[in-house]
Amino acid sequence: MVSAKKHVPIVKKRTKGFMRHQSDRFKCVDAAWRKPKGIDNRVRRRFKGNLVMPSIGYGSNKKTKHMMPSGHKAFVVSNVKDLELLLMHNKVYAAEIAHNVSSRKRIDIIARAKQLSVKVTNPKAKVTTEV
Amino acid sequence: MSFPNISADVIWEVARNNNSFLVKRSKHIGGGGGVQFSRDPLNPTNIHSRKYAGFVNDKAVGVVPTEKGVQVVSKKAGSGNKPAASKYSVNYTKSTRKTFKSIANQTAKSGYRPDLRAAAVARASAIRRSQRPVKPSPEPKLRGNAAKKAAQA
Repeated sequence: MVSAKKHVPIVKKRTKGFMRHQSDRFKCVDAAWRKPKGIDNRVRRRFKGNLVMPSIGYGSNKKTKHMMPSGHKAFVVSNVKDLELLLMHNKVYAAEIAHNVSSRKRIDIIARAKQLSVKVTNPKAKVTTEV
Repeated sequence: MSFPNISADVIWEVARNNNSFLVKRSKHIGGGGGVQFSRDPLNPTNIHSRKYAGFVNDKAVGVVPTEKGVQVVSKKAGSGNKPAASKYSVNYTKSTRKTFKSIANQTAKSGYRPDLRAAAVARASAIRRSQRPVKPSPEPKLRGNAAKKAAQA
Protein backbone atom coordinates (compact mmCIF):
# COMPACT_ATOMS: atom_id res chain seq x y z
CA MET A 1 0.00 0.00 0.00
CA VAL A 2 1.50 3.30 -1.06
CA SER A 3 1.74 6.10 1.47
CA ALA A 4 0.70 9.64 0.72
CA LYS A 5 2.94 12.53 -0.24
CA LYS A 6 4.43 14.48 2.66
CA HIS A 7 2.12 17.24 3.81
CA VAL A 8 1.67 19.82 6.53
CA PRO A 9 -0.10 18.41 9.60
CA ILE A 10 -3.88 18.26 9.31
CA VAL A 11 -5.48 20.58 11.89
CA LYS A 12 -9.21 20.45 12.53
CA LYS A 13 -10.00 23.74 14.26
CA ARG A 14 -13.34 22.44 15.50
CA THR A 15 -14.59 18.88 15.47
CA LYS A 16 -18.00 19.48 17.06
CA GLY A 17 -20.89 20.42 14.85
CA PHE A 18 -22.73 23.73 14.85
CA MET A 19 -26.13 23.36 16.51
CA ARG A 20 -29.07 25.48 15.53
CA HIS A 21 -30.24 27.90 18.22
CA GLN A 22 -32.92 26.39 20.50
CA SER A 23 -32.70 22.97 18.80
CA ASP A 24 -32.08 21.61 22.32
CA ARG A 25 -35.39 23.04 23.54
CA PHE A 26 -37.92 22.00 20.92
CA LYS A 27 -38.07 18.69 19.11
CA CYS A 28 -39.63 20.40 16.11
CA VAL A 29 -36.44 22.50 15.74
CA ASP A 30 -33.84 20.34 14.03
CA ALA A 31 -30.13 20.66 14.89
CA ALA A 32 -29.20 21.46 11.27
CA TRP A 33 -27.62 24.90 11.21
CA ARG A 34 -29.80 27.91 10.42
CA LYS A 35 -28.49 31.40 10.99
CA PRO A 36 -30.53 33.27 13.58
CA LYS A 37 -32.04 36.44 12.13
CA GLY A 38 -33.98 37.97 15.04
CA ILE A 39 -33.34 41.56 16.11
CA ASP A 40 -32.71 40.65 19.74
CA ASN A 41 -31.18 37.20 19.22
CA ARG A 42 -28.33 36.57 21.65
CA VAL A 43 -26.66 33.91 19.47
CA ARG A 44 -26.60 36.28 16.51
CA ARG A 45 -25.15 39.02 18.74
CA ARG A 46 -22.46 36.57 19.93
CA PHE A 47 -23.11 36.95 23.65
CA LYS A 48 -20.82 35.15 26.04
CA GLY A 49 -21.78 31.56 26.83
CA ASN A 50 -24.02 31.15 23.81
CA LEU A 51 -23.78 28.82 20.82
CA VAL A 52 -21.06 29.65 18.35
CA MET A 53 -21.92 30.37 14.76
CA PRO A 54 -20.04 28.88 11.83
CA SER A 55 -17.65 31.27 10.13
CA ILE A 56 -14.92 31.12 7.56
CA GLY A 57 -12.27 31.13 10.28
CA TYR A 58 -13.11 27.53 11.12
CA GLY A 59 -12.10 26.46 7.60
CA SER A 60 -9.28 23.99 7.02
CA ASN A 61 -5.91 24.84 5.58
CA LYS A 62 -6.26 24.74 1.80
CA LYS A 63 -3.36 22.31 1.60
CA THR A 64 -5.06 19.75 3.84
CA LYS A 65 -8.67 20.35 2.81
CA HIS A 66 -10.55 17.14 1.86
CA MET A 67 -7.62 15.11 3.17
CA MET A 68 -8.15 11.86 5.03
CA PRO A 69 -5.93 11.09 8.06
CA SER A 70 -3.74 8.98 5.75
CA GLY A 71 -2.96 12.11 3.70
CA HIS A 72 -4.89 10.94 0.62
CA LYS A 73 -8.01 12.39 -0.91
CA ALA A 74 -10.82 9.99 -1.73
CA PHE A 75 -11.80 9.37 -5.34
CA VAL A 76 -14.91 7.25 -5.91
CA VAL A 77 -14.43 4.49 -8.49
CA SER A 78 -17.05 2.17 -9.93
CA ASN A 79 -14.90 0.00 -12.17
CA VAL A 80 -11.34 -0.79 -13.19
CA LYS A 81 -11.41 1.89 -15.88
CA ASP A 82 -12.01 4.58 -13.26
CA LEU A 83 -9.16 3.18 -11.21
CA GLU A 84 -6.70 3.53 -14.10
CA LEU A 85 -7.12 7.31 -13.85
CA LEU A 86 -5.21 7.23 -10.57
CA LEU A 87 -2.12 5.60 -12.12
CA MET A 88 -0.15 8.85 -11.89
CA HIS A 89 -1.82 10.10 -8.72
CA ASN A 90 -1.42 7.28 -6.21
CA LYS A 91 0.31 9.57 -3.71
CA VAL A 92 -2.48 12.15 -3.66
CA TYR A 93 -5.68 10.21 -4.31
CA ALA A 94 -6.95 6.94 -2.89
CA ALA A 95 -9.67 4.92 -4.58
CA GLU A 96 -12.97 4.48 -2.79
CA ILE A 97 -15.16 1.76 -4.30
CA ALA A 98 -18.70 3.01 -4.83
CA HIS A 99 -21.40 1.49 -2.62
CA ASN A 100 -23.30 -0.18 -5.44
CA VAL A 101 -20.44 -2.30 -6.83
CA SER A 102 -20.87 -6.07 -6.47
CA SER A 103 -18.39 -8.19 -4.53
CA ARG A 104 -17.33 -9.97 -7.76
CA LYS A 105 -16.24 -6.70 -9.36
CA ARG A 106 -14.76 -5.40 -6.12
CA ILE A 107 -12.25 -8.27 -6.24
CA ASP A 108 -11.14 -7.21 -9.74
CA ILE A 109 -10.80 -3.57 -8.66
CA ILE A 110 -8.77 -4.45 -5.56
CA ALA A 111 -6.44 -6.73 -7.56
CA ARG A 112 -5.81 -4.04 -10.17
CA ALA A 113 -5.29 -1.41 -7.45
CA LYS A 114 -2.55 -3.57 -6.01
CA GLN A 115 -0.80 -3.71 -9.38
CA LEU A 116 -1.06 0.06 -9.78
CA SER A 117 -0.14 0.54 -6.09
CA VAL A 118 -3.22 2.63 -5.50
CA LYS A 119 -4.62 2.67 -1.98
CA VAL A 120 -8.23 1.49 -1.63
CA THR A 121 -10.02 2.97 1.36
CA ASN A 122 -12.66 0.24 1.64
CA PRO A 123 -10.97 -3.01 0.52
CA LYS A 124 -12.81 -5.18 3.05
CA ALA A 125 -16.34 -4.07 2.29
CA LYS A 126 -18.53 -6.84 0.81
CA VAL A 127 -15.42 -8.96 0.13
CA THR A 128 -14.63 -10.49 3.53
CA THR A 129 -17.07 -12.72 5.34
CA GLU A 130 -17.57 -12.95 9.08
CA VAL A 131 -16.26 -16.23 10.48
CA MET B 1 -7.48 17.48 -33.86
CA SER B 2 -5.59 20.29 -35.57
CA PHE B 3 -8.11 21.32 -38.17
CA PRO B 4 -6.77 23.87 -40.62
CA ASN B 5 -9.67 26.25 -39.99
CA ILE B 6 -10.30 25.80 -36.24
CA SER B 7 -7.73 26.75 -33.65
CA ALA B 8 -6.94 24.53 -30.68
CA ASP B 9 -8.01 27.35 -28.37
CA VAL B 10 -11.51 27.35 -29.83
CA ILE B 11 -11.80 23.57 -29.47
CA TRP B 12 -10.67 23.83 -25.86
CA GLU B 13 -13.13 26.60 -24.99
CA VAL B 14 -15.98 24.59 -26.54
CA ALA B 15 -15.06 21.23 -25.05
CA ARG B 16 -13.50 22.08 -21.70
CA ASN B 17 -16.71 21.89 -19.69
CA ASN B 18 -17.98 18.66 -21.13
CA ASN B 19 -16.37 16.03 -23.32
CA SER B 20 -16.33 12.27 -23.54
CA PHE B 21 -12.94 11.95 -21.83
CA LEU B 22 -13.78 14.16 -18.85
CA VAL B 23 -14.44 12.54 -15.46
CA LYS B 24 -15.98 14.83 -12.87
CA ARG B 25 -16.58 14.03 -9.24
CA SER B 26 -18.57 15.60 -6.44
CA LYS B 27 -17.11 18.64 -4.73
CA HIS B 28 -18.26 17.43 -1.33
CA ILE B 29 -18.11 13.66 -0.91
CA GLY B 30 -15.74 11.18 -2.52
CA GLY B 31 -14.40 13.55 -5.14
CA GLY B 32 -11.28 14.87 -3.48
CA GLY B 33 -12.78 18.38 -3.65
CA GLY B 34 -14.23 18.22 -7.16
CA VAL B 35 -11.25 16.85 -9.04
CA GLN B 36 -11.45 16.54 -12.81
CA PHE B 37 -9.59 13.78 -14.61
CA SER B 38 -9.39 12.87 -18.28
CA ARG B 39 -9.54 9.44 -19.90
CA ASP B 40 -7.87 10.77 -23.04
CA PRO B 41 -5.25 8.24 -24.28
CA LEU B 42 -3.17 11.20 -25.48
CA ASN B 43 -3.10 12.74 -22.00
CA PRO B 44 0.06 11.65 -20.15
CA THR B 45 -1.11 12.68 -16.67
CA ASN B 46 -4.92 12.10 -16.74
CA ILE B 47 -5.30 15.68 -15.46
CA HIS B 48 -7.99 17.66 -17.27
CA SER B 49 -6.12 20.77 -18.38
CA ARG B 50 -5.29 22.71 -21.52
CA LYS B 51 -1.66 21.68 -21.50
CA TYR B 52 -2.28 17.94 -21.23
CA ALA B 53 -5.47 17.73 -23.32
CA GLY B 54 -4.40 15.48 -26.18
CA PHE B 55 -7.56 15.83 -28.23
CA VAL B 56 -7.15 19.62 -28.34
CA ASN B 57 -3.51 20.26 -29.05
CA ASP B 58 -1.89 19.87 -32.47
CA LYS B 59 0.90 17.90 -30.86
CA ALA B 60 0.36 15.54 -27.96
CA VAL B 61 2.04 12.58 -26.33
CA GLY B 62 0.30 9.62 -24.72
CA VAL B 63 1.75 6.54 -23.05
CA VAL B 64 -0.34 3.37 -22.89
CA PRO B 65 0.54 -0.08 -21.53
CA THR B 66 1.09 -3.03 -23.88
CA GLU B 67 1.63 -6.72 -23.13
CA LYS B 68 5.30 -6.40 -22.29
CA GLY B 69 6.09 -2.70 -22.28
CA VAL B 70 4.68 0.64 -23.21
CA GLN B 71 3.43 2.23 -26.38
CA VAL B 72 4.04 5.92 -26.97
CA VAL B 73 1.41 7.57 -29.14
CA SER B 74 1.81 11.02 -30.61
CA LYS B 75 -0.05 13.13 -33.14
CA LYS B 76 1.13 14.24 -36.53
CA ALA B 77 0.51 17.95 -36.82
CA GLY B 78 -1.47 19.02 -39.84
CA SER B 79 -3.47 15.87 -40.57
CA GLY B 80 -6.57 16.63 -38.51
CA ASN B 81 -8.88 15.65 -41.34
CA LYS B 82 -7.52 12.10 -41.33
CA PRO B 83 -7.72 10.89 -37.71
CA ALA B 84 -6.53 7.37 -38.54
CA ALA B 85 -3.41 8.59 -40.30
CA SER B 86 -2.65 11.27 -37.71
CA LYS B 87 -1.54 8.80 -35.01
CA TYR B 88 2.09 7.88 -34.72
CA SER B 89 2.92 5.09 -32.29
CA VAL B 90 6.09 3.38 -31.14
CA ASN B 91 6.30 0.24 -29.03
CA TYR B 92 8.98 -0.05 -26.36
CA THR B 93 9.81 -3.40 -24.80
CA LYS B 94 13.46 -2.79 -23.94
CA SER B 95 14.82 -2.04 -20.46
CA THR B 96 13.13 0.78 -18.58
CA ARG B 97 16.10 3.12 -18.62
CA LYS B 98 16.48 2.77 -22.38
CA THR B 99 12.74 3.27 -22.76
CA PHE B 100 12.87 6.50 -20.77
CA LYS B 101 15.78 7.74 -22.84
CA SER B 102 13.94 7.02 -26.09
CA ILE B 103 10.77 8.71 -24.81
CA ALA B 104 12.76 11.77 -23.75
CA ASN B 105 14.35 11.90 -27.20
CA GLN B 106 11.02 11.42 -28.92
CA THR B 107 9.16 14.13 -26.98
CA ALA B 108 11.75 16.75 -26.11
CA LYS B 109 15.05 16.41 -27.93
CA SER B 110 13.38 16.44 -31.31
CA GLY B 111 11.58 19.64 -30.27
CA TYR B 112 8.14 18.01 -30.46
CA ARG B 113 6.66 18.83 -27.03
CA PRO B 114 9.53 19.54 -24.60
CA ASP B 115 7.05 20.45 -21.84
CA LEU B 116 5.63 16.91 -21.78
CA ARG B 117 8.92 15.09 -21.30
CA ALA B 118 8.73 14.69 -17.52
CA ALA B 119 5.08 13.65 -17.61
CA ALA B 120 5.62 11.10 -20.39
CA VAL B 121 8.63 9.54 -18.69
CA ALA B 122 6.84 9.46 -15.33
CA ARG B 123 3.87 7.72 -16.88
CA ALA B 124 6.07 5.16 -18.61
CA SER B 125 7.76 4.53 -15.28
CA ALA B 126 4.42 4.08 -13.48
CA ILE B 127 3.21 1.68 -16.17
CA ARG B 128 6.38 -0.39 -16.03
CA ARG B 129 6.10 -0.56 -12.26
CA SER B 130 2.50 -1.77 -12.54
CA GLN B 131 3.63 -4.58 -14.87
CA ARG B 132 5.83 -6.15 -12.21
CA PRO B 133 4.55 -9.30 -10.50
CA VAL B 134 2.53 -8.41 -7.39
CA LYS B 135 4.00 -9.40 -4.06
CA PRO B 136 1.59 -11.48 -1.99
CA SER B 137 0.45 -9.56 1.08
CA PRO B 138 1.61 -11.04 4.40
CA GLU B 139 -0.79 -13.15 6.45
CA PRO B 140 -2.57 -10.96 9.01
CA LYS B 141 -1.31 -11.57 12.54
CA LEU B 142 -3.84 -12.99 14.94
CA ARG B 143 -4.54 -10.75 17.91
CA GLY B 144 -6.36 -10.99 21.20
CA ASN B 145 -8.38 -14.15 21.93
CA ALA B 146 -7.75 -15.63 18.49
CA ALA B 147 -3.98 -15.47 19.12
CA LYS B 148 -4.39 -17.16 22.54
CA LYS B 149 -6.42 -19.97 21.01
CA ALA B 150 -3.86 -20.48 18.25
CA ALA B 151 -1.03 -20.61 20.82
CA GLN B 152 -2.81 -23.32 22.84
CA ALA B 153 -3.55 -25.50 19.83
